[in-house]
Parts: sequence; structure tokens; C-alpha cells
Amino acid sequence: MTTFSAAVAVAVLIVLLIALQLRRMRTLAPAVGSPGDADLSRQRYNNYAFAAADEAADLEQPAKAGLDQTNIRRTAGFRPPRLAGRHIVHTHLAMLSRGRFRRTSTDNANELQPCHVKSRTEPADGSQSAARQSRHDERFGATLDLLPLTILVANPQGKTLFANAAAEKLFGYSPEELIGVAVRELVPALQLNVGGADSVSAELAIGGREPDGHRDLVARRRDGTEFPAEVAINPVSWESETCTLTIVIDRTERYELLRNRQQLAHLTRVSTLGELAGSLAHELNQPLTAILSNAQAAQRFLATEPVNLGEVREILHDLVDDTHRASEVIRKMRALVKKGDLEAAPLSVASVIRDVALLVHSDAIVRGIQMRVTVTPELPPVDGDKVQLQQVVLNLLLNAFDALESRPALDREVAIAVTLEGGDTIRVAVRDSGTGLAGNTFDKLFLPFFTSKRDGLGLGLSISRSIVEMHGGRIWAQNNEDHGATFYFTLPTGTRAARNVSGRQP
Amino acid sequence: MSEATSTVFVVDDDTAVCRALTRLIRSAGYCVESFGSAHEFLECHPYFKGCACLVLDVGLPDINGLELQNELNAANSALPIIFITGDSDIATTVRAMKAGATDFLAKPVSDSDLLPAIENALRVSSQALSSRTELDCIHGRMARLTPREREVLALFVEGRPNKQVAFKLGIAEKTIKVHRARVMEKMEAHSLVDLVRVIDKVCIPLAQSQSA
Repeated sequence: MTTFSAAVAVAVLIVLLIALQLRRMRTLAPAVGSPGDADLSRQRYNNYAFAAADEAADLEQPAKAGLDQTNIRRTAGFRPPRLAGRHIVHTHLAMLSRGRFRRTSTDNANELQPCHVKSRTEPADGSQSAARQSRHDERFGATLDLLPLTILVANPQGKTLFANAAAEKLFGYSPEELIGVAVRELVPALQLNVGGADSVSAELAIGGREPDGHRDLVARRRDGTEFPAEVAINPVSWESETCTLTIVIDRTERYELLRNRQQLAHLTRVSTLGELAGSLAHELNQPLTAILSNAQAAQRFLATEPVNLGEVREILHDLVDDTHRASEVIRKMRALVKKGDLEAAPLSVASVIRDVALLVHSDAIVRGIQMRVTVTPELPPVDGDKVQLQQVVLNLLLNAFDALESRPALDREVAIAVTLEGGDTIRVAVRDSGTGLAGNTFDKLFLPFFTSKRDGLGLGLSISRSIVEMHGGRIWAQNNEDHGATFYFTLPTGTRAARNVSGRQP
Repeated sequence: MSEATSTVFVVDDDTAVCRALTRLIRSAGYCVESFGSAHEFLECHPYFKGCACLVLDVGLPDINGLELQNELNAANSALPIIFITGDSDIATTVRAMKAGATDFLAKPVSDSDLLPAIENALRVSSQALSSRTELDCIHGRMARLTPREREVLALFVEGRPNKQVAFKLGIAEKTIKVHRARVMEKMEAHSLVDLVRVIDKVCIPLAQSQSA
């Protein structure tokens, strides 16, 4: 989510920049003698655009030769017919100084030429302000190319007028090919619905736009492969035309991360049920034992003469209670499935912590939590099960996050410290600045089904304890002197762990 | 089975379970006393002398069932124990059985398992009770022996003839014969075989008592 917010912010910035640019161009245009915008027919507009590109390329290329080989190469195929009069100045095409576009010629719509526009440093009439503008354009264009976001500008027909470097890379098109491609070929679900030259509206064909203007859609590369993408579209008024600025963000990684995270969270809840099997069995067995004994006692009482109805009534009452109790246990453990075996391998605690920290990073940002990780360098490896240890760290971190919920935003801090204790023990401390633990909870914290959270299962810490103890370590909690609590766990390093594992009962 | 005079103690920290087990055992005609913790049980009935058995939960909050068993054993209690547990593992079961438990049942426990187990435990208890009475009796008889008679007894049950006993103890054979007659009388034994059988039951290391 955070990444997306940043992306949206960038998108908004770009739109603002473009709008600003357009305004400046409009105000500049008359000053350098170009015809008024309103009078431009489509034909003339295109011609102007074309000529501007022509001129820009002409003027820029020699000056920049050898400086920007890529652009020169890209421009090599560009041989536009010359237009009379080199007085054409900045149009929006100049603005997109390093972008690529195709001329949408009205004479021959199929004869589109790839075109590279390089920004002008000096306009024909040598105006100072125009020069400044031009430099500005160049920087602006370069900026667009450097953006990690894919930017597509489409004309009212939904064909690409401009695409930045990220777009070429993402969709796998060469610069020339990408211009003139229908946007809906790139993002099939996206249909740019531009009512007319006057209407400034662009809608997503399906479902409309989300409040924050983005949609999760599937985008298609040139080779036909598809990938998840976030798409934001914004109407942009260029000259008298309504174009659309489409920002596409590749979300493949985010989806993978999301999936990993879901898997890990799922693991936290379920995979170590085996460790808890004893406690769970006990929890369920208690009411079941009571139910069975009560029922059998009732059978016996009913078999006697005269029947002791008082006794049977009491038994039935107890049976109802016991059944409720059993179903409550079942409700709590519904999500828990199966046990994973301990697969011990030498691993770095630091990397386990880093992995998990990365995983919850966005969560921390969303919750306004500062997370600090301090790791003593060159720690010896421990023998352990990576996924299980990740569960422990994840669980402690998420608990710490939860503990900070009631704190003011500035005080939300979680610090993880990994240190070496006594040469053969690695200690991990997860310290939060929350409200701390109530005095009477310390002895119950690690018991199954004990929870202080409203929706808690009461399993996280007991699972964590099972895992840590299985690794030959210890887990405990302490309230901090100032505020909040710190959860510690230790793990024996490789040599000591090996002894523990061999000495452990199966 | 003299159910009326037998008592079944139930120790389980779970009130619902404790109540249900009590009820079930009572429905079978036994006298039941239930306790919520090991300490509670120890306070009331540390060394119950009558015919009884203990239905004991392994996982108790104060001291666990196995520890209670050890404590009772250390106090030379003859109370047979039936363990019931929700999470039985082999190690615990073996420990409990080695320490003399009569049964080890998994929760939820059915009456078809529990009641025969109780019956068996009570039989063990009553046997222990009667053998204990006999032992007490033997011990009482032995207490009447003089130190010299004890020495003589020890050598007799080893099967040594009068002459050897006399030689070993350095006294006259005649005196030995008198001691022997006294021992037989005090131990209420009619023959040497009878005497050996009685002494076997108490398993007292007589040879050591002699050298001491």
C-alpha cells in the first residue's frame, strides 16, 4: 500500500507538472509567433507538431552528437519531410523532449513515422524565455525517462503519443513500436473513453475509477505474457485535445510479496500445531472426558430403579456446558492444520530477522511504526528451521506492532537487537515502546489460548515458545524500565545446538 | 468386591472433568472423594489405610501426577494409582507404570475402561492391605526377638545346622538349641520351612543385621 501511495503521489506530481507545462506553453506560444491554439485544426496541429519535432531533431542532433548515442540511434530512422518555416516553437511534443511519438498525419494515417524529439536549446527567434523554457523541457523529459513508473500518453483515439523509457522496458517494445499502439493492447481492461475534443474525461471501461484513481488490472507485454499492474489514468488537455496520461506500475513483485506474506502469516497460525498438539488435545480432551463420563454416568443412573432424576438433570446441565466448552476450543483451533517437521540447518539469525523485517516493513510504515534492527556483526550461525524461526520473529514483531496501537504516532518504536551472549548463545530482543505487560500476565503469556488481544487466538507466543525450546533456546518477556515490553529469545549457536539436538528426545 | 468399604479418590484440576468422573464412579457404586489438586489430596488423605485407589490426572497445576506418585511411594503408600491423561506419551506412561501405577488411561476415558481399572486397582489395594497386615504381624513377631535370637534366626534361614551356627556365633550347641526353640515359638513357626517362608515375606536382609 505504501509503495502505491508513493506512486500515486508521483503520478499526481507528474500530472501537475504536465498541466503547468501546458499552461506555460500556451502562454509562450503567441510570444514566439505561433498561431493561436484555438485556431489550429487537427491538420495544422499535427503539422506543427511534426515540424517542431523536425526542427528540434535538426538543431539538437549535431550539438549533442556523441553525448547521447542511444537517442541518436533511436532517431536514425527519422526522416521527416521538411515543412516550410522554422518558426514553429514549443508544442507539447517539445515538452516531451526526449519522448517518442508518431505523427498522426491526416493525409495518410497509416504512414506514421517514428520520431524522436529532442528539446531545443535555442528557438528560431532566440528568445531568452523560450530558451529557458526549452532547458526546462529537456530536464523535464529526462526526468520522465528516469522515473521508475511507466507513463503513457494517449491521444483521443486511445493510441500512444508518448511513452517513457520505463514503458518500453516494461512492455517489451522498442521505442518506435510503442508509439501508436492502442493503450488497450497494453492494458486490455483499460478503455480510454474520450468523449470529444472538448470533454476532459477518461474512464476505465469496467467498474469506473476507485476513489484514489487507481485500479489493479492485468497488463500485457509484447510477447503476450501478462502481469499484475496498477493503473492510474488522468485526463490531460493538450492544446485543444483531450489526451489521457496513463501510469502503469508493475505489481508482480508486490503480489509475490503479498503472497509470501500471506503464506508466512498462515504458517504462523497453522504449521506448528504439532508442537501444540499436546496442549490442544488436552484442551479438547477435558470437555470430551467430562461429556463421556457424564453421559455414561447418566446411562447408569437411568438403569437403576428408581431413577435418580435429580442426578440426571444435573448431568444434562453439565453436558450442555461441556459441549459448549469443546466447541469453543474447536472454534479457536479451526484454522490450525498440520505439523511441519523441524528441518535444522545452519542459518544466520541476522538473515532470518532481516527477512521478516522486510516482510513487515510496509506494515510498519502503514501503522506509523519506526523499526530499528541492530545486529552484532559476524554472529555464528545457529542450527534451526528457517521458517519456524521466522514465525517466532514475525510473531514477536506483530505483537510489538499491536502493542503500539494505542501509542501516539511519534512514540511508536520497535527495536530488534541481535547479540551474542556468553560466546555460544544468540539473543534476540524485540523491544516495543507500547504500554507494557500487566503484572499478572507474565506467567500466563506463553500458555496456549492465553491472549490479551480481543481477537487473539492465544497461540502465537505458545507456538513461539515451542519453536524456541525445540531449538534448545529460551523465550521470556520483561517490561522495560521506561515504557513498553521486551521479548527475548535465545538460540544456541551451531556447536552447542548440535549437542542439544542430539540429546533431544524424538 | 467390597465396594461399600472401598474408596476411590479422584484428583483432577478440571472441575467439569472431576465432577463427571466422580459421578461416573459413584454410579458404579463406589464411594468417591474428589480433589482439585495434588496438595488438596495430600492434606486430606496422605496415607489412607483402607481399601482405596487413586484416579489421578497426570497434568496437575501444582505438582504433577507423576511427582505425586513418587511422593506417595516415598511415603510407602500402598495406594494403587490409575493415571488418566489427555496427552499421553510413551515416556510418561513408562515412568508411571514403572513407578507402580496399575493403569494408564487416555482421556476421554470410557466407563468400560475406567471401571474395570478401578476394580482391578481396588483388588490390588485389598491384597496389599492384607499382605501389609500380615507383614505388620511378622514385624511384630520379629520385634519380640532378642539380638542373639535374630543372629540365630539369620543363620538358620541360611540353612546352617546347629553345630555350624554354634561355631559361628562362638557359643555352645546346647544354647543354640534353646535359642532356636525360642525363635520358633516367638515367630509362631511350626517348622523351619514355615519360618523361612515367613522371613522371605519381609525380605529383611538378616545376614547384614548379623554383621552389623
